[in-house]
Amino acid sequence: MSGTQNFLLELHCEEIPARFLQPLTSDLSLSFKTWAVGQGLDFSGLDTFYSPRKIAWRVSGLLTAQADQTETQAGPPQRMCIDEAGKPTIQGQKFAEKWGVGFDQVRFEQPAGKKEPCAVVTITKAGRPTVDLLQEALPGLVASLHVPKAMRWGKSEFEFVRPIRNLLCLFGDQVVPITVDGVTARNTTWGHRLYHRQHPEPVKIKTPEAYEAALEAAGVVVSMEVRRTRLAQQVEFLAAEAGGRVVADAELLDTLAEIVEFPKILWGDFPADFLELPKEVLVTSLREHQKSFCIEGPDGALLPCFLTAANRADDPEGFVKAGNEWVLKARLYDARFFFAEDRKQALSERLEKLQALTFQRELGSYHAKTGRVVAITKALATRLSDDDEHLNRAMEAARMAKCDLRTLMVGEFPELQGIMGGEYLRHEGAHEDVWMAVKEHYRPAGAEDAIPSTPMGCLLSLCDKLDTVVGCFAVGLIPSGSKDPLALRRAGQGIVRILWEQGWAFTPGDLVATALRIIGEKATKPAAESTEALLAFFRDRVAYQLELAGYAGSVRRSALAAGWEDLADLKARCEALSAFAEDARFASLAQSAKRIGNILKDESPAGDFDGGLLAQAEEKVLAERLSRLESAPDQVALLAALADLAEPLEAFFSAVMVKCEDQALRAARLSLLHRLRQAFLRVADFSLWQ
Amino acid sequence: MHIQELILRLQRFWADRGCLIGQPYDLEKGAGTMNPLTFFGALGAKPWNVAYVEPSRRPADGRYGENPFRVYKHLQFQVILKPSPAKVQDLYIESLEALGIDFSKHDLRFEEDNWESPSLGAWGVGWQVVLDGMEISQFTYFQQVGGLDCRPVSAELTYGIERICMFLGGYDNIFDLVHGEVKTDDGVFPVTYGQMRQREEFELSAYSFEHADLGLHKTLFDAFEKEGWRLLKEHGHFLSAYEQALKMSHTFNVLDARGAVSTTERPMVIKRVRDLASACARAYLEHEEGAATPAEITGKGGAK
Repeated sequence: MSGTQNFLLELHCEEIPARFLQPLTSDLSLSFKTWAVGQGLDFSGLDTFYSPRKIAWRVSGLLTAQADQTETQAGPPQRMCIDEAGKPTIQGQKFAEKWGVGFDQVRFEQPAGKKEPCAVVTITKAGRPTVDLLQEALPGLVASLHVPKAMRWGKSEFEFVRPIRNLLCLFGDQVVPITVDGVTARNTTWGHRLYHRQHPEPVKIKTPEAYEAALEAAGVVVSMEVRRTRLAQQVEFLAAEAGGRVVADAELLDTLAEIVEFPKILWGDFPADFLELPKEVLVTSLREHQKSFCIEGPDGALLPCFLTAANRADDPEGFVKAGNEWVLKARLYDARFFFAEDRKQALSERLEKLQALTFQRELGSYHAKTGRVVAITKALATRLSDDDEHLNRAMEAARMAKCDLRTLMVGEFPELQGIMGGEYLRHEGAHEDVWMAVKEHYRPAGAEDAIPSTPMGCLLSLCDKLDTVVGCFAVGLIPSGSKDPLALRRAGQGIVRILWEQGWAFTPGDLVATALRIIGEKATKPAAESTEALLAFFRDRVAYQLELAGYAGSVRRSALAAGWEDLADLKARCEALSAFAEDARFASLAQSAKRIGNILKDESPAGDFDGGLLAQAEEKVLAERLSRLESAPDQVALLAALADLAEPLEAFFSAVMVKCEDQALRAARLSLLHRLRQAFLRVADFSLWQ
Repeated sequence: MHIQELILRLQRFWADRGCLIGQPYDLEKGAGTMNPLTFFGALGAKPWNVAYVEPSRRPADGRYGENPFRVYKHLQFQVILKPSPAKVQDLYIESLEALGIDFSKHDLRFEEDNWESPSLGAWGVGWQVVLDGMEISQFTYFQQVGGLDCRPVSAELTYGIERICMFLGGYDNIFDLVHGEVKTDDGVFPVTYGQMRQREEFELSAYSFEHADLGLHKTLFDAFEKEGWRLLKEHGHFLSAYEQALKMSHTFNVLDARGAVSTTERPMVIKRVRDLASACARAYLEHEEGAATPAEITGKGGAK
């Protein structure tokens, strides 16, 4: 039995793009895992590490050799291997030779399926040392790694994410001398660039376990998790020190942890007069251009300072802080230039310029889209309110919604679309309803994001998304499988969420018909075809909305099957059903509902029946209860009545034979069940409960 | 540090490390890469190290000489090292030290920034080099130029002269930079960047945002294209044809700064520049190395 050792491999490269670090590290460790399993090399743990110049992983408790394997080989019958004198025959000796053993190791046994004893040998295949296997396999594992944007360098044809400059490969305290593109592994690597200004020699790593500590001593924190945690702690501490809290951005924190080898948060200030820029502009500019966090005060307004990461532990002469402040100021100058230039003309003057901006080939320009969104807004706004002022404002917001696409600021920061339009309108003195609606009409940007905070914003968002979704379907751009390049599912989900949260009475059918009418001749597909596809699309979005809202599977399935288009009603039913979901009687009710469904299959019972025909006590009870069900004032009362019905139904099915000989009685029973099912279906299809 | 001192130090540094010191190319261009010393130098197998200053025009960046950080025309210092040396990052860092940057007091990062010039059919991968949060250089391993694979690969280092100068001197306004000193019998007169260039910035910004004759530029674009193809096809002249591609590129930039090229037209217009530049690249290689171009050498190894 062989022992185990820890194994470590590190590829030290020129700076690897942050976005590839995690995927490459995990791909490499996965392909190692697959290989090790295939070789019968067990191990107990696998840790991965990465930093800007390193991809590494450590395998703990890796077998130092494959286990020996024994196998039994059978040969010719005994009578052909030994002659009458008891000596080995030529054939017998050849068999022993074939397997590399002396004749004295040949046994004679009767293998299963043979009629007589045969020559048998047991041979042992020695397991190979792990170090040999690693040496053969590792270069291939590295070279066959899929690199999304591979490069060549120098004169070599080797391709990798960035030039490989050093290999560290240890099994226990032994170097595994692999070579990749001319670089041969050793037991040393490189620490932080700054560290090596004083220490020209490479860092020696004695054993795989010593890896992190040795590198930290040389200025590199090689664990991504450790870097992120330390950065997060410093961010929180410094924000509190500034008297505020950080504008949270998990993605930015990850990015910062990926671009430094040593995690250090740096505090910087910027001139307070830049605070006249809209908060969103500052946050976006700081994030996109300078990878910096903003800090907001207790009132939500930004403070004139920022936090970003530096790739060193200290800032002895304040150069790092000064440099970052200097660059940020240059960026903010530009933002202020855009903000001032954009306001030299009214936002509305950009409306005509939208004609030169294509929304979609068949559907035309953003100017044309604006026209349609205005028309949809008009159609829907009149149904929400009969106030003319309200209608005019809603249409004004729709007209202005896309104008900011032609501003310098949105040209520089596309993610500020909507927000800038709203800000510019606010500065122009537009009504708050209007600028707020424009500002938020791209929301919700995803499942995490909120819907617009005002009803008019919700209306504009809904109309804009509706035109996008219905327009695209009408020209055949329908998402399929994983393909949804225009993010129509997200837009559709936004529509459903707005309806769901606002409780508006528009049904998807309504909305689709309105939008299709307005799209009119731009459609290239027949309206009926588009409508069918759109309703299926919206049904899926509604189903997903129920999931997002957190309803249990049984509630969702049974409620949806009883109708999905009236979202307010669907919501009420789901709420009521959820309140009863834990009630054990519902499981029984579901069983009974399924039986009713089966019985009524292929039957077409009349709605009315003569109660006097019913003979057994168990069915009379049901008939009595029927009126209570049918007259239940709301979903909750109906469900309470249904729950009470579970036991009588069970009793009914165990006592009553529905399809009896007596045709009149049979018809009455079928009608009774039919009426019961109709009452059920007002709230849910219980046959889908489980 | 004066601008001219910075340039002189970089030239000295790279000359000492085996680079030819080239000169700017006397046509308008958006980046030092477009200089034939780089465009053609990065092609083919022969070793090629060259360094030079290149004034680079970006009409859309014009700010009438009013923005303290952004200008219509700036200076690039361009270095091409073919094949890329194994210690190219270290060499680059040493060049910054030659400018007086002490890394024991500064923060240096190489952040992913892949470079692409659709109008030259060129791309590479590399970084923007960030010093104390400021981008001071672009560092690229050329993978293709003129649509042809680079074998061997060149490293391209592009220093932003004004930015580095401002940064080193703590200037808040590009126009306050000192280019150098004029010494006469009457005394020593420092000359600022503003004295030399601010009026030029104003006029060139006004030209690209207001006064350029768009009709003329559209006509010129077509004419340069026709001229370029004529030179290439009828005479096999890739250098004079390439000049026409450079003129097309600048003409396009002027039109683009005015928003005179729609988003749908844009890729097609750029492709017309690229087609001519790429044809020049192929003709150059045929001239230099016979018919076989590196793109036809298909031996591959390593990760895909």
